[in-house]
Amino acid sequence: MSQVLHPIEQKILTSLLEKQNLTPEELSEKTKLSIDQVRRGIEWLRFKDLIQVNDSEKHHISLGHRGIEASEKGLPERQLINYLKSLFGFSCEINEAKNQLKDEFSAAIANAKKNGWIEIHENRILLKGYHDVIPEERLIKTIASRSPAVVSIDEIEDKTVLDSLKKRPEFLILNSTKYVTINLTEKGAKLASQASNQTTNVDLIRAIDVEAPSPTIFAARSNPLQDIIDEVREIFVSLGFTELTGNSTQSSFWNFDALFIPQDHPAREMQDTFYLKETRAEKVATPEQIKRISAVHEKVWRYNWQLEEAKRMVLRTHTTCVTIKNLADQKYDEARLFSIGRVFRNEKVSYKHLVEFNQVEGVVVGKKVTLRDLMGLQMEFYRKMGIKKAKFWPTFFPYTEPSLQSMIYNERLEKWVELFGMGIFRPEVTKPLGIKNPVLAWGGGIERIAMLRFGLDDVRELYNNKFSWLRSVPKCQ
Amino acid sequence: MPVVTLYFNRLQKILGRKISIEKIVSTLPLLGLDIEEETKDHVNIEYSPNRPDFSTDYGIVTGLQGLLGLKLGMSKLKIKKGKGAIKVDSSVVRVRPYITAIEARNDTLDDETIRQLIAMQEDLHNGIGRRRKKTSIGIHDLDNVRYPLVYTTVPRTRRFIPLGSQNEMTISEILEKTETGRTYGNLLEGHKRVPIIIDSKDNTLSFPPIINSNLTEVTAKSRNLLIEVTATDKNAAENTLALVAYTLQSVGFQLFSVRISGARNSTPSLDARSMLIDPTLVNSTLGLDIDPSVMIKSLRKSRLDAKIKGKKILCTIPRYRTDIFGPIDMVEEIALGYGIQNLEPTIPESASTGQKNSLTVLLNAVRSTMIGLGYSEVLNFELVGKHTQYDLANRNVSNMISVINSKSQEHHILRDALIPGLIDILSRNIHEPYPQKIFEIGTVFYKDHPIKETIHLGCVSAYSDVSFTEVKSILQSLLKTGFNLVCKTAADTNPMFADGRTASVLIDNDKIGLVGEIAPLVIDNFKLRTPVAGFEITLTGLIFD
Repeated sequence: MSQVLHPIEQKILTSLLEKQNLTPEELSEKTKLSIDQVRRGIEWLRFKDLIQVNDSEKHHISLGHRGIEASEKGLPERQLINYLKSLFGFSCEINEAKNQLKDEFSAAIANAKKNGWIEIHENRILLKGYHDVIPEERLIKTIASRSPAVVSIDEIEDKTVLDSLKKRPEFLILNSTKYVTINLTEKGAKLASQASNQTTNVDLIRAIDVEAPSPTIFAARSNPLQDIIDEVREIFVSLGFTELTGNSTQSSFWNFDALFIPQDHPAREMQDTFYLKETRAEKVATPEQIKRISAVHEKVWRYNWQLEEAKRMVLRTHTTCVTIKNLADQKYDEARLFSIGRVFRNEKVSYKHLVEFNQVEGVVVGKKVTLRDLMGLQMEFYRKMGIKKAKFWPTFFPYTEPSLQSMIYNERLEKWVELFGMGIFRPEVTKPLGIKNPVLAWGGGIERIAMLRFGLDDVRELYNNKFSWLRSVPKCQ
Repeated sequence: MPVVTLYFNRLQKILGRKISIEKIVSTLPLLGLDIEEETKDHVNIEYSPNRPDFSTDYGIVTGLQGLLGLKLGMSKLKIKKGKGAIKVDSSVVRVRPYITAIEARNDTLDDETIRQLIAMQEDLHNGIGRRRKKTSIGIHDLDNVRYPLVYTTVPRTRRFIPLGSQNEMTISEILEKTETGRTYGNLLEGHKRVPIIIDSKDNTLSFPPIINSNLTEVTAKSRNLLIEVTATDKNAAENTLALVAYTLQSVGFQLFSVRISGARNSTPSLDARSMLIDPTLVNSTLGLDIDPSVMIKSLRKSRLDAKIKGKKILCTIPRYRTDIFGPIDMVEEIALGYGIQNLEPTIPESASTGQKNSLTVLLNAVRSTMIGLGYSEVLNFELVGKHTQYDLANRNVSNMISVINSKSQEHHILRDALIPGLIDILSRNIHEPYPQKIFEIGTVFYKDHPIKETIHLGCVSAYSDVSFTEVKSILQSLLKTGFNLVCKTAADTNPMFADGRTASVLIDNDKIGLVGEIAPLVIDNFKLRTPVAGFEITLTGLIFD
């Protein structure tokens, strides 16, 4: 990923690529940016580890008050020489010189002597030799000529001159100032040379407002209800159940007759069944299955069973029709099966009821399975769904005996809610179909679980497909 | 499910002992009754249609007394020999061959009891009575009955004043003009002569299974009652009579028999029946290891009688318990008496490993591929409305599969395509941000022998710049990524799609679906504001099995 640089950063990097160790002021001059822009750029680049900022110190000298005096009148020894030169005979009494030079007298005598400019003879000072300009005078002059009157120590080549002047009190003021120099880091050098080659990429350098809000995008996602269906499926698989699938349209034979629901019983209307117009199954079951189911109906319910009625096609009112046909065909000794699918009830649509919803159903076939096992499996299913409290009540289903209803405690609603129903298939169901071992069965609507999970009070929300709702359900919780 | 209202003060009075409301409410579910609504003075409960004895508070009290330990064992019917008689004429054999009856004397009914009896009668008509086809009940003020009665048939010209009317009407008029006449008249279709109960003075008492005469109307002042049941099945008639008789005995009436004779009819006995059960079945079904004596105690709490007989238990079941067919029903009675709350859940061992259906796995893979292509999943109903599926979508109705008597115009035909539903979703989201890209995987239905169900994938994209090319790219990408398949497109037409921008999707010359831009007419019909393009392909049977 290429790094996006601000134009300021870009200019600084380019300058440093040409010459390292520049001060902000130097950079300002080179880049034609204001010093503030440069300083800002330096901060950004340092933060990105593209440049290094080195702290340095610069020593320099200026003149003390004696130095200033000397710059105007000359050094004390020069003043002495000039005084002597102004006198007839180029000499004077020591006391005369003392009066003339005052505080500078001692220094003037000492230095003039050292320079070989004078001789003292019997209380008189005599001029002698040449009186060329000395390096100390030159330095003072240089300093005084500057504006401001400061000279960097680095400029002074002969450090002995400095030392000798330093020995004279209040001639020089030594100062130091802190300053910074900038050089490129390795990363910075690399990027700067790349950037200098990529003159065509304008995006690389365009500035953006990183704090401005960006447009919301919505992830394409699975349907929340489908997520719950998948979760339920995973739980059944984890409990060792194998999935069955089957059609939404079924013959009355498997939806009702095979489940011991007599043809004239209001149960066939009790669940408010959808019958398909002018549609009958051609073949509903094997002749043996038809014979044995009709026999049990006629014996127990005492009516004249009709094959034509069993052929009427319905929208299945439960997934049990798929389960029972599979059990009748396979005749397992042991099995754990489940199915998830749409089921239909001819009801008025309301906040509580849909005409079509998803039902999940599990069955366990086994020689030794019991009602307590059924309750235990139900509890285990609930535990995996994150439901902690459940209880059981007796209820009635036409094809199970005993039959139970389970209630779960919903923390949000702070009340018990009816959920899955369950029971053991009646012998009137299993025996005619050749199913020898007991069959535990339980199931219920998935939409109900979804409503509790998503906090919905109206079941229709699940199928309204409002994008605002679909987007609002957290995918990853 | 039928509902009955229980008033606490009545319940407490009938229970005979002061039981707290809290205790009553917490015990009702243990009888298998669902509490629908609870207020300060009453609860509404739902009871299963197989337990019509729970249709009055007297029947529920019988159950509560058992679980609360107030009264155990079966309550017996005490029937004294009465003086009344009904003679049956053989002409009823072809239309409604059986009648049975009983008298209930020496008490009165308060308004609430009358209301409950009527509700019970209605429930018995619908349940055991199969909407009066199998049995129907008539309750009469006995003091206006002149014995002996005759159960016979009459022509449709006979006149009497039906219950709830002021005027005399002919049978034909009753069938045309009264509500019950119109509802149940079809039960007498094809019969010139209809069933009738006539007293010794040739007064009409009842026109079963339609309506009683106003002569014997029951009021709060009635002290003595006659209950008759006419039926096409003798056993069902006696079961029904037993239920009403038990209830009236609980109210406080004394029962007297009515002698029935003629045309293979006889005086009912209403005796309890017995059944042998094996304790092993009880323990193996419930997962318990309890002693037969505990089972007997539990049965008595369920208001049944039982005693040990050899290695088995001999149970006695009152006639009104019509829901009991065989030993497994007795196992449930024991479970209820024992207390469901006393059964500790266990988890059965299993070596089986679970498995998803291979179709499910494939469909989920298609689903995630579509999501990867930027489409969100929606779910619609399989049972939809014609208006959306065909009219608005401008589609041909030749494959329309309807259901009978749907209560909703939005759910009365099976869908044969997914795209109309997807466009409908777009029309409900026009205020949401665009682009809108959705898909659905679902079952569609075709007329076959009798119905063929296949799984389709439908997909639509809606925004101002959507095009044929875009959705074709999505389709190609899905087929390539999902199945390593390459499809061809060939120009096609379809009324839902725009002419010149529609193609059939071909894989090895098999047509698997359509891709195209939706016709402007359809866009207008759904009141959409942007163009829409999409595709629909068949997954099962073509791309996989």
